[in-house]
Amino acid sequence: MVELLAWLVLFLPLLSVAAITIFTRGNAARSGAISITAVVFSFICGLVLFYALPESSMGMPIQIPWLSIHDQGLGLDLHVDIGLRLDHLSLPMILIVTGVGSLIHIYSWGYMKGDPGFARYFACLSLFTFSMLGIVLADNFLMMFIFWELVGVSSYLLIGFWYERPSAADACKKAFLTNRVGDFGFLVGILLTWATLGSLNFRDLETRLNVHSVEFSAVATAVGLLIFCGAMGKSAQFPLHVWLPDAMEGPTPVSALIHAATMVAAGVYMLCRVFFLLNVDGSQALQVIAWIGGITALMAALIAVQQNDIKRILAYSTLSQLGYMVMAVGCSGPVPAMYHLTTHAFFKALLFLGAGSVIYGLHHEQNIWAMGGVRRKMPITFWTFTFGTLALCGVPPLSGFYSKDSILAQAIKDHHYGLFVLGVVVALLTTFYMFRLFYVVFKGRPRTEAAEHAHESPSVMLWPLFILAIFSIAGGLLGIESLYARHFEAAVAGTEPGFWDRLLEPFNEQLLAASFGVLAVVFGWLWARSLYRNKAVDPLPEKLGWWSQLLRNKFYIDEFYENVLIPCTQDALARVADFIDRWIIGTFAVRGTANVTDVAGRLLRMLQTGSLQMYAFLLVAGVAGVLYWVLGK
Amino acid sequence: MNYSSMMLEVAVVVLGLGLLLADLWTPIEKKRNLGYGAAIALALVLIWSFQWKPVEDSLQSMYVLDGLALFFKRLFLVSAIVVLIMSVEFAARMEAGISEFYALILFALAGMMFSASANDFSLLFVSVELITVTFYVLTSFQRNRLASLEAGVKYLIFGALSSAFMVYGIALVFGTAGKMNFAGIAAMAPQLAGNKIFLLGILLILVGLGFKIAAFPVQMWAPDVYQGSPTPATAFLAVGSKAAGFVLLLRVLFTAVPEVAAHWTTLLIVISIITVLYGNLCALPQRNLKRLLGYSSIANAGYLLMGVAALNDSGKSAILYYLGGYVFTLLAAFTVICVVMREVEGEDISALAGLNQRSPLLAAALSMSMVSLAGLPPLAGFFGKFLLLKAVTEQGPVNSAYYWLAAVLVIGAVISLYYYLGVVRAIYWSKNPPKATSICVSWPVQIALYGCIIGMLYLGLFPNRVVESANRAVAALERPGPMTAVAHASGESR
Repeated sequence: MVELLAWLVLFLPLLSVAAITIFTRGNAARSGAISITAVVFSFICGLVLFYALPESSMGMPIQIPWLSIHDQGLGLDLHVDIGLRLDHLSLPMILIVTGVGSLIHIYSWGYMKGDPGFARYFACLSLFTFSMLGIVLADNFLMMFIFWELVGVSSYLLIGFWYERPSAADACKKAFLTNRVGDFGFLVGILLTWATLGSLNFRDLETRLNVHSVEFSAVATAVGLLIFCGAMGKSAQFPLHVWLPDAMEGPTPVSALIHAATMVAAGVYMLCRVFFLLNVDGSQALQVIAWIGGITALMAALIAVQQNDIKRILAYSTLSQLGYMVMAVGCSGPVPAMYHLTTHAFFKALLFLGAGSVIYGLHHEQNIWAMGGVRRKMPITFWTFTFGTLALCGVPPLSGFYSKDSILAQAIKDHHYGLFVLGVVVALLTTFYMFRLFYVVFKGRPRTEAAEHAHESPSVMLWPLFILAIFSIAGGLLGIESLYARHFEAAVAGTEPGFWDRLLEPFNEQLLAASFGVLAVVFGWLWARSLYRNKAVDPLPEKLGWWSQLLRNKFYIDEFYENVLIPCTQDALARVADFIDRWIIGTFAVRGTANVTDVAGRLLRMLQTGSLQMYAFLLVAGVAGVLYWVLGK
Repeated sequence: MNYSSMMLEVAVVVLGLGLLLADLWTPIEKKRNLGYGAAIALALVLIWSFQWKPVEDSLQSMYVLDGLALFFKRLFLVSAIVVLIMSVEFAARMEAGISEFYALILFALAGMMFSASANDFSLLFVSVELITVTFYVLTSFQRNRLASLEAGVKYLIFGALSSAFMVYGIALVFGTAGKMNFAGIAAMAPQLAGNKIFLLGILLILVGLGFKIAAFPVQMWAPDVYQGSPTPATAFLAVGSKAAGFVLLLRVLFTAVPEVAAHWTTLLIVISIITVLYGNLCALPQRNLKRLLGYSSIANAGYLLMGVAALNDSGKSAILYYLGGYVFTLLAAFTVICVVMREVEGEDISALAGLNQRSPLLAAALSMSMVSLAGLPPLAGFFGKFLLLKAVTEQGPVNSAYYWLAAVLVIGAVISLYYYLGVVRAIYWSKNPPKATSICVSWPVQIALYGCIIGMLYLGLFPNRVVESANRAVAALERPGPMTAVAHASGESR
């Protein structure tokens, strides 16, 4: 029964893809209904598993043997199953993917209404859900890698959903190629792991690691960094972060689901899944991971301060929050990382959907300076968005406060004081750019015709906002952290903490982190309020000068890639390869050999004159030669 | 000698004589259909041949009916059936005497079947002459065509020359050993291995057999004769005559003089290398399809010689497998040539342009046979080359020259890709295909082509059964020493 439910969770979305592409491609409404039904049922199966699965059967193997190569001579022993793993890490993640996914599927019904590619959109969305669930449930590296790539494909399809726009076509290509760079490292890391430990299954790896810890420690840093390459691509960490802001070319619900709540979190999830490989003695990987995460968080927050496109601000905010999560993993804190991943999925999906609602109400206007005063026109969107903002900034007692605090506390606990300071600065910047957005979009007077005639979105789009708002507010009090802690730490004896304990936990645990977090929020808010209240133009560029230019142009990283890095590496390599192919292989090796052979053929053919006397002479001469050679000695 | 074991050959000879008699009472316009009758009769003989079991106790006789003999007899029967069907297609281009053409094919077939069982130099010579003499007539059968006459004359003179070598060789061998029987000679071989007269005799016999298989240095005739002869005769020459040469070569080298063969490793390697390179290089600039196949047949003789040169069981069974695939491949090619070149004189490759529109079946059959000859999977030619390569590299640790042999095999195969695929290109991707008049393919030809295609695919995809039967057939060549000695002793006492 458990197995059936687990397979259903995974394969229901795939069935919906098949049904839509084969049968109902032409029927928009039916396609959407199939896709929504599939993801909702998948969510329900996940819920049943979450609540009904007894503690004893956590992590039980659900496997179908797939590939088995056994070669005594080569010493090769590869065994791969298609296996699902249900434990305290994957079960909540399933609920996030299918739960948030369900809400976004429903929201899309309203947002995408009337689009000619409606059926295709839902097929792609279902394909994404299937692939993402595959990553979450995978019990071995190979299967995870396959679904990892499938997620990349579905992300590609959805970013380029409006493929007739050149910008969307470029963006999806960029996303795919950037991800491939990271995935290459990931694949090498997987191979290296297999070469050292001889297995791909996570459970086997864990047991083998205990036996072969000495052999593994030699390659531990390399393995950790290579695997992190994969996370760097998917979770858009510096320096592979460039694709995520461009990915906002996709429909807004896609941005909410894939490029905020779930897919980009896959990298963090994967790091937590294989945390035992990273956290070994003698490995420097975690240090690097922590700092990459911190740098990404800071850089993205800085860039977000000077962006004017509502979705891009949120995209950089996502980058920054992903940086937080990766930093948490690097500070040996997979629990805070997963905790923040969960709450972030709620409030960032909420913010994107709210932004989508604003964009929808303003007839696809995305520039925040062309908005203003939206509060009165779209009250429900306004209130839910406000709660999302507060949660993201980390205002107690909203969910973001608890998860962010646990990360800051982890940094102190792991003695990363530099990263702690960095985290507080990022929290300050986060509050600043979010309230900048808040004041410019919702407060003040409408600045354009479109903002003047804004209208509230239909209820099919508002209900998901409500539900996500509730989770964003209360997410910190649901005991999510202790749930993940059960996976990573031995069961802690004692009673479940009460409501008040949970509410005040950050202040009891690590007062320093909590108070700095709150201070950052307060200062960030005051700063943004003083600068942006009732302003029609951005006052910051004047004050910052060339700094503003630098931030607006995202530190010129894209330009650096396009004009320096790619010409120096890829284009140069391409030129060398072209030279080798054209001159050495083409002219010398291929045509040269061919010509020599051809000439040899023509020369030999001259012997074949057709003259009988000549033939007879050659025959006798040949026979005589052979006879002499054999007998003459 | 037990004549009952010769019933298969007897049946074929009787069929040939019956055909000549039937010719007297058949009206002239029905005569070409006699070929179909002969083909059906041969098919019955082929089915009958599967009722026969190898007889192992006939070592002393000049005629043996072991697994090897039966394997080759079936091979010859299959090729004769297809060649007869081809001849019916070709009948319109013969001036007269189509029935004689059929009968000659049957007599040549009888010669080949005898050769498969030859265990004695006298039977070897008789069967070789039976094949060669009938081919003198077959190659020059189109008496109104100068090219055909020229081919006949060249074949006659070369055949006579090599027969002279062979019969001289046999005389020398008999003079030194005092025996004609292979087993008998094998028993005396230790004394004779150092005798240069004896070795000269064996070498001259090998020259005669080399003529049949078109190996260096007696390969010159092949392109000219292949080009000039009537297509069915060319096909039978390329398939049957070559296979007969190989079965005799196997018997002489591995039954009669295994000790001598073991000393001639380098000779065999060099001969096969030269033959492969000569055939493949000369084929490169060829535009005439039949001449191209003539050079290709030299190259293939070289590949097969590699199996001989490997001097191991896997090499011998690779030869059998290769010949099995070669029969289907070449027969498909020649059948298509026979049908397509009906209206074209020069047999130039360009005449194939647009063939895929004129007849998809012919285009597919010819392309598949070219791909199989080039040795690409999944067709029979690929697996045959693979087995040869395996057999050759197995011997590598013994003598590093075998690695060179393997390299030459691969190089030859690569060179051959160019001209074989050139034919395929002409069929499908010609620049200016002429007006597409569809070609009518009669149903017996269709059956023959489908049979060849199935044969190529079956051998390529499911090689196991044929490889096993080849292994079993080759085992017959192994004559354990003591047994030979006993047999020899009993021969003495008789």
